[in-house]
Amino acid sequence: MVDDDAAMRHSTQCLIRSIGLRAETFASAQQFLKYKRPDEPSCLVLDMRMPGLSGLDLQKELAEAGVEIPIIFVTAHGDIPMSVQAMKAGAIEFLTKPYRDQDLVDALHDALKRDEAARTEQTKLRDLRRRFDSLTPREREVMGLVVSGLLNKQIAGELGSTEQTVKFHRGHIMRKMQAVSLADLVRMAASLSIPHR
Amino acid sequence: MVQYDREDLASGRVRWTDLTPSEWRNRDERGIAELKETGIFQPFEKEYFRKDGSRVPVLLGGALFEGRSNEGVAFVLDLSEQKRTERALQRSEAFLAEGQRLSSTGTFSWRVATDEITWSAQLYRIYELEIGVPVTLELIRTRVHPEDISLIEKMKMVDQARAAGNDFEWQYRLMMPDQSIKYLYAVAHATRDENGQLEYIAAIQDVTAARLSEEALGKIRSDLAHATRVMTMGEMVSSISHEINQPLGSIANYGNAARRFLAAEPKRLQEVDQALAKMVTEADRASAVISGIRALSRKSQPERVALHIEELIDEVLALVHRELVSRQVVVRAEFGEELPLVRGDRVELQQVLLNLVTNGADAMSSSSGSRALLVRAERSEQEPDSFVDVCVQDSGIGIHAGELDRIFTAFYTTKPAGMGLGLAISRTIVEAHGGRLWAEANNDGPGATFHFTLPAAA
Repeated sequence: MVDDDAAMRHSTQCLIRSIGLRAETFASAQQFLKYKRPDEPSCLVLDMRMPGLSGLDLQKELAEAGVEIPIIFVTAHGDIPMSVQAMKAGAIEFLTKPYRDQDLVDALHDALKRDEAARTEQTKLRDLRRRFDSLTPREREVMGLVVSGLLNKQIAGELGSTEQTVKFHRGHIMRKMQAVSLADLVRMAASLSIPHR
Repeated sequence: MVQYDREDLASGRVRWTDLTPSEWRNRDERGIAELKETGIFQPFEKEYFRKDGSRVPVLLGGALFEGRSNEGVAFVLDLSEQKRTERALQRSEAFLAEGQRLSSTGTFSWRVATDEITWSAQLYRIYELEIGVPVTLELIRTRVHPEDISLIEKMKMVDQARAAGNDFEWQYRLMMPDQSIKYLYAVAHATRDENGQLEYIAAIQDVTAARLSEEALGKIRSDLAHATRVMTMGEMVSSISHEINQPLGSIANYGNAARRFLAAEPKRLQEVDQALAKMVTEADRASAVISGIRALSRKSQPERVALHIEELIDEVLALVHRELVSRQVVVRAEFGEELPLVRGDRVELQQVLLNLVTNGADAMSSSSGSRALLVRAERSEQEPDSFVDVCVQDSGIGIHAGELDRIFTAFYTTKPAGMGLGLAISRTIVEAHGGRLWAEANNDGPGATFHFTLPAAA
């Protein structure tokens, strides 16, 4: 949580502790940027208007650095243009002080769930990438043609190989990629953005 | 007397009847009749023509010799000089009366030994009494405002005046039968007559109009100050509402947290206690902010109390803290050691400080360098025992030497949204406190310094 007001920081931290979550607090955006985030589901509660780097500035900076963290904005001003800007930039919630505590609690749970899902997705993708990296250059070539919908015979023609060899490669690919069907493999290729014809 | 000579008389050119203007002839005839009847005519005033046709006022009287009916003696007294003096006296009396009327000033004399009191006509008019009624101390008492009567009695003013025989002046009020109030200013001069008897000669001026306009002016000034104060508050409303919302939001957070700690199984009582303690702290913070605002927007007559200038400065800085932070202004307060208390009106002095601090912040809003504001209170260099000097120093755009005094003129402003009243009112306030407010360009760097002095509370 980033808020320049100490009382607001401490009270929000207390509230978050009361629902069994852990909160780290920061007095400024700069302080937060220096912080090494633990590798677990988390989200950011951000005060909109702060001296120095504002909440919106921090959101932009995080996006540019490729840091993905769900952001819940909190503001004392109910500033509509600002909230629109924040939501467009991907904020998941925008709370106006004084907010109902349940709104914050719901937003926190929602944000954590989203971060958890995103993290699972990330892990899956990393896994998939590792599997793909284990393919030989030839196998990657064959995979590209397979997910493009070409038959073994056509692939053999394309590569100047035999249908038998293509079948052999294909078996290796399915096993290494842990794909259960052709459709499964196509989805994986899409996730990995493998070029196909 | 009539400019004729013996020859004129001898030649018969002068005729007795021609000497008398026609309107006096009847009087003459009555005189002659009286003379014939009683042998004497009582002196009376009349006029004669002079040779040149002008008139001469005379007193004429005469009697026949006893036993003679055609021989007697008469006298003619030239009254010119007396008449001139009389006219001059009348004129000066008229001047005096008119002067008294125009200046609403009445005069009276009081012979202390006999309590003989004489009033001028204007004084009767001021007291709204019929001109000429005998004036007594008791009669005066029926007109003097009851509160002032008790004051006069408490101070034994009448007794003192009887005994002392000194000049004195005093101000008092009359309450007229219709309950309206008159404000009077009296100056009395003690004299002694030839017998050494004490007599006071006094002038009493009706200063009601001046007094009322003074009061109205004071009220206008205070209304105007209130209006600008409210305006300043209006400009700061967003930062002020933030100042209140922060503690309120914190209180809500602690409260909600406490309920959840209580609902937990087992109850987390220690944390409940901590949250409650924090709630109290935050509630105090919110009410401090609100009382600060209420004090500033309060509308009342200024008062004079002994104040800690340090406290006053801290209060104002707390009020504008948020605003200064959002404008990236770093503010620092410095206090000299063992500062004496100052005498003044808390709200008015807060307004002066608020104005100087926001001016300083405004002056730095376009500067790219460091935005530092210093508020310092210390004993005055010239008169360390009787004055405290407060200065507000900014590092902003500064003030041209030629404008150092002009900025205090009402409606003079360099700000697009300014009314140009802040400094003018601030100076009025400081001067009403017996201090001075002035501006200086900074010697060692950009920006300006505003100084004001306040008398130390005795």
